[in-house]
Amino acid sequence: MSEVPLLEVRELSVTFETAGGPLPAVSGVSFTVGPNETLGIVGESGSGKTVLARSIMGLQPRARVTTTGSVRLNGSETVGASETELRRLWSTEVAMIFQDPMTALNPVMRVGKQIDETLRVRLGMSRPAAKARAIELLEMVGIPSPAQRYNAYPGQLSGGMRQRVVIAAALACTPKLLLADEPTTGLDVTIQAQILNLLDDLKDRLHMSVVLITHDLGVVATRTSHLAVMYAGRIVEFGATRDVFAHHRMPYTRALLESSPRVANPSHTRLAAIPGRPPNLLTLGEGCAFAPRCAYANDRCHVERPPLSAPDAAGHSFACWNPLSEESR
Amino acid sequence: MLRYVVRRLVMLLGIVVVISIGSFYLIHLLPGDPAAVILGTGDTPANRAILYKQLGLDRPMVVQYFIWLRNILHGNFGISFISQTSVASTIRAALPIDLELIALSQILAFAAAIPLAMRSARKPDGIVDRILGAGSFTLLSIPPFIIIVLLVLVISIKLGISNTGPSSYVSFGTDWIVNLESLTLPAFTLAIGSFVLYYRVLRSDLIATLQEEFITVARSKGISRRRIMWRHAFRPSSVALLGSAGVNIGGLLASGFVVEYLLAIPGLGYTLIAAINASDYLLVQGIVLVVSVGVVVINFLFDFVINIVDPRISRE
Repeated sequence: MSEVPLLEVRELSVTFETAGGPLPAVSGVSFTVGPNETLGIVGESGSGKTVLARSIMGLQPRARVTTTGSVRLNGSETVGASETELRRLWSTEVAMIFQDPMTALNPVMRVGKQIDETLRVRLGMSRPAAKARAIELLEMVGIPSPAQRYNAYPGQLSGGMRQRVVIAAALACTPKLLLADEPTTGLDVTIQAQILNLLDDLKDRLHMSVVLITHDLGVVATRTSHLAVMYAGRIVEFGATRDVFAHHRMPYTRALLESSPRVANPSHTRLAAIPGRPPNLLTLGEGCAFAPRCAYANDRCHVERPPLSAPDAAGHSFACWNPLSEESR
Repeated sequence: MLRYVVRRLVMLLGIVVVISIGSFYLIHLLPGDPAAVILGTGDTPANRAILYKQLGLDRPMVVQYFIWLRNILHGNFGISFISQTSVASTIRAALPIDLELIALSQILAFAAAIPLAMRSARKPDGIVDRILGAGSFTLLSIPPFIIIVLLVLVISIKLGISNTGPSSYVSFGTDWIVNLESLTLPAFTLAIGSFVLYYRVLRSDLIATLQEEFITVARSKGISRRRIMWRHAFRPSSVALLGSAGVNIGGLLASGFVVEYLLAIPGLGYTLIAAINASDYLLVQGIVLVVSVGVVVINFLFDFVINIVDPRISRE
């Protein structure tokens, strides 16, 4: 991360005003993503991953949402930016792939039109040029007979094909940063790997940085250079992916790792579920949000929130009063 | 798509056949014997039998129906016993007035409803939305015959614009300015009800569509709000709009009758009421048949348009 960061998030907090009081969906999140880097963000459902991604984009609705902190995209601030300003960044600087390809495409618009629309509106391409480029993009994302598929409606395509279309639309203006919010959650397992490999491949070809958001550690293990673990709206562990997997210090990270199946384990090994439930963000106390579910928690954990430690030599940081020692892993 | 259209066409044909049987039977339900009317004082059993044979009334009802149907299909609706004129030519003179009136009112209604619904949907429960909502409800709650009286009072009498009445009606081909002038008032009256319906239907569908994920996706591409509204939100939101327009336009023929009668515009409605008053049953039958078939065909056409707008419908 010696280079100028492409994405720099500083102390980003997003709070929703709800009937039950303020709900801190994201609290004090900071990280950077350099050119050609892939950052993985993992966490359970409700840990704030999607809100984080939408806030980076500036797509979060304004009403009843308070966003503080800073998000700089290639130098441009997105927090508090007007939609007109953001529109200049969207598609060309940053693009997003959404979770569910079933709902991300307009059901009554031909898929090709949904791709070349971006080219025409954002790059000012002529109709025929945009169409030709859209067909190229469809081919690039591995859609067979792209010229025919150009005229298909989303309902005529499978889930995997639709996600490929979503990717093609997102990449139409070759963004420098791609935010992928659970890009494979809605797909069959066999298709998941295909889509992830495609993203990996496109990232190299188009020299993009990618933020890959997922709840599946298996997805990020081999495909990301850095990894952020989120819990209750905060980053609780951050480091090089390899480092986080091998030398995790935060008990939550360990629990997350132990709850995913491993090939090395003998078959029928019971997965270690994380006891308890994710915390209610409306009633977060002073202490560590994970403390009620943590086997290592002591009195301090319940009353004082551990800050994210200063990164060590390898850039690894964690938020825990009782980090797992080197030996215990 | 083609299969869907063919299936619908077969259905359409079935409905039209039922309508034709209904209109045919209408005449037979009426009391009185045509032979008695025609023969007058010469009404003897012998004369009556001869006349029955001449008119074909001695044949079985089913045969009579098919003879009647064949005539209708040839555009022969019979000669009115009352006015001694061809029913078909009377209808042919009146029908274009209704078609023009409905077309004008629909243009007005859509031209107002679509942009206002979009404006409302942009900020649901915002100040503009509330004002439009309250205003449209007020308009909806006033019956057309009250509206028309108010409009006549304000526009025709107080302001002296848009004269109405049978004498002032001129066909579009003769003088289109006078023609439009004479139809402004009725078209406006008919448009109000349609406007409120379309505005409300489109507004709520637009609000629902704008919550969809694909709208967020479109926004994230950097597309302007205006383009998202027209290109992404409008089309998927217009299915219910078109469906209600199909039904509404059919109904307009009926409410159009009231307006026509009140403003003395010589359209089908005016003609129908006059025919009922004059006991001109053949003319009544002809108008009922034409209007019923018209309603069915309009609904079929709207179904067809809906299929083009939302290709998911014919696919399932």
